Amino acid sequence: MLAPGLVTLRFHNPKVARETIAGQFVNVLPKAGAIDPMLRRPFSVYNTDGDEAEIIIQAHGRGTNILADTAEGEMLDVLGPLGNPWNYKSGDFKTAVLVIGGVGVASMLLLTRALVKEGLPVQSYYGARTKDLLALQDLTNLHVATDDGSEGFHGSVINMLRKDLEARKIEQPKLFVCGPTGMMRAAAVLAAEYGIPCEVSLETEMACGIGICQGCPVPTDDTTFQKTGKRFRLVCMDGPSFSAETITI
Amino acid sequence: MNGVESNGQAKADMRVRLRGVEFKNPVLVASGTFGYGAEAKKYCDIEQLAGIVTKSVSWKPRPGNPPHRIIETASGMLNSIGLANVGVHTFVSEKLPYLAKFDTKIIANIAASSMEEYRDVLEHIEQHATPNLVGYEINISCPNVKDGGLSFGTNVERTEELTTLLRASTDRLLIIKLTPNVTSVAPFAQACERAGADAISLINTLVGMSIDIYTHEPRLNTVTGGLSGPAIKPIALAQVYQARKACGIPIIGIGGIVSAEDTVEFLIAGACMVQIGTANFVHPDAGIRVARGLAEFLQKQNISAVGDLVNSLRIRAELKAAGW
Repeated sequence: MLAPGLVTLRFHNPKVARETIAGQFVNVLPKAGAIDPMLRRPFSVYNTDGDEAEIIIQAHGRGTNILADTAEGEMLDVLGPLGNPWNYKSGDFKTAVLVIGGVGVASMLLLTRALVKEGLPVQSYYGARTKDLLALQDLTNLHVATDDGSEGFHGSVINMLRKDLEARKIEQPKLFVCGPTGMMRAAAVLAAEYGIPCEVSLETEMACGIGICQGCPVPTDDTTFQKTGKRFRLVCMDGPSFSAETITI
Repeated sequence: MNGVESNGQAKADMRVRLRGVEFKNPVLVASGTFGYGAEAKKYCDIEQLAGIVTKSVSWKPRPGNPPHRIIETASGMLNSIGLANVGVHTFVSEKLPYLAKFDTKIIANIAASSMEEYRDVLEHIEQHATPNLVGYEINISCPNVKDGGLSFGTNVERTEELTTLLRASTDRLLIIKLTPNVTSVAPFAQACERAGADAISLINTLVGMSIDIYTHEPRLNTVTGGLSGPAIKPIALAQVYQARKACGIPIIGIGGIVSAEDTVEFLIAGACMVQIGTANFVHPDAGIRVARGLAEFLQKQNISAVGDLVNSLRIRAELKAAGW
């Protein structure tokens, strides 16, 4: 257990463990071999260690309830790694600002490691409804906010970050954002206001995870892309992380 | 000894013929569940499939419907993709040449909103046909676009008229994909047969719905969508059976197939081939798993050819006498 409301699932999968780059995800069946629930669920790869990988489960529906109850030694059916990594080598920033909402923390541990390896300073702004949903392990330069004030700043993580941006506390920041849709939208607006680069990692309903079902579109504002006659990008193949100004969240 | 396993049992003959076209086994992948091949190739040895029915293609590219496009339901899912596709020009310049590299058969699925568009798309593909393009599947049954083919698929006269028109434009296989969203599939099967279709495929998705009980809003952006997956298999099986009784042309069974056993049921009910659909979203290699399982089933059951299963339903005399 990572926090009272979050559990991690650790599984042996050399391919996922060795090949995943920060920001990629796996598509996991709630119950291997079952046809109900039928579809896989996408999860960010939270951690890798040798031949093992970890995902975070916040039980909130049929699939995640089953996964949260997975017994030790049970087989998991995992497809991955899928999608594109965070663009942490974009070179347009001096400080990486991780903006984290709730279970969005799942894509931040590997990102933190990758940024540290690149020698880039990291500031982590982490908000959750309440302190029981915070997974604080291994985050760097942590600023915590909770909606109920049970830990850290009382209010939204975006308001906490806004104060620090206003005070010009952060040198040439780029936002890496993962959390609920409303919070990611607010982060994108904030980044646009301050003219700073912003990347968001999206979560949507998804069936296949590999670009065949076309089930996970996100409207795009990217005119170069629209010249191909398309109005949507796919979260699974073209994302899950996108430069915020290219899409409509 | 060729074809004889070490246990002495001969390997079953998995081949299927549709009017002169020989498929290596009866398992195709369904339109819209396998893209144009490239996406799934990493996960599936596509040369082990009998063939690929490509994602529906229309004259112009279609962006598809806004999110949400997919909702999971009990043993299935609702979709409202909206025929997102690259358009026929990109299809013939990029997708068909790519697919030509593989030793598997290609069936191009066509969706359109008018008789002329169906014909133009088919004729454009005919002009650029690749050696492994063996035919067309005509989608007259997509429930998720306002101007789509369902207006053809729910009208017997229009189904017959469209089939006649397209029949005149190609000597390749012409397969009409039927909808279950009608009172009886029988007259549609008969219309396709009269108009010269080589086969019918069924079923496309069933119109379905899901509602968010807290916001009172439909979960799909198009309010209703198409239901697929194991949940619809019994319906699909009954429709294949009804179509089998109604017409004499070959039937390709579709609807919730995830296993070799499911496939055997469809063959017994009267289909000579099947398509794997939604299962590809879970296991991109579902088609070859099913084909392999089917070969094992035939061998274990001492059935020498897959064709022996086709239309082998046994209904006891007293049931028949009672009108069933």
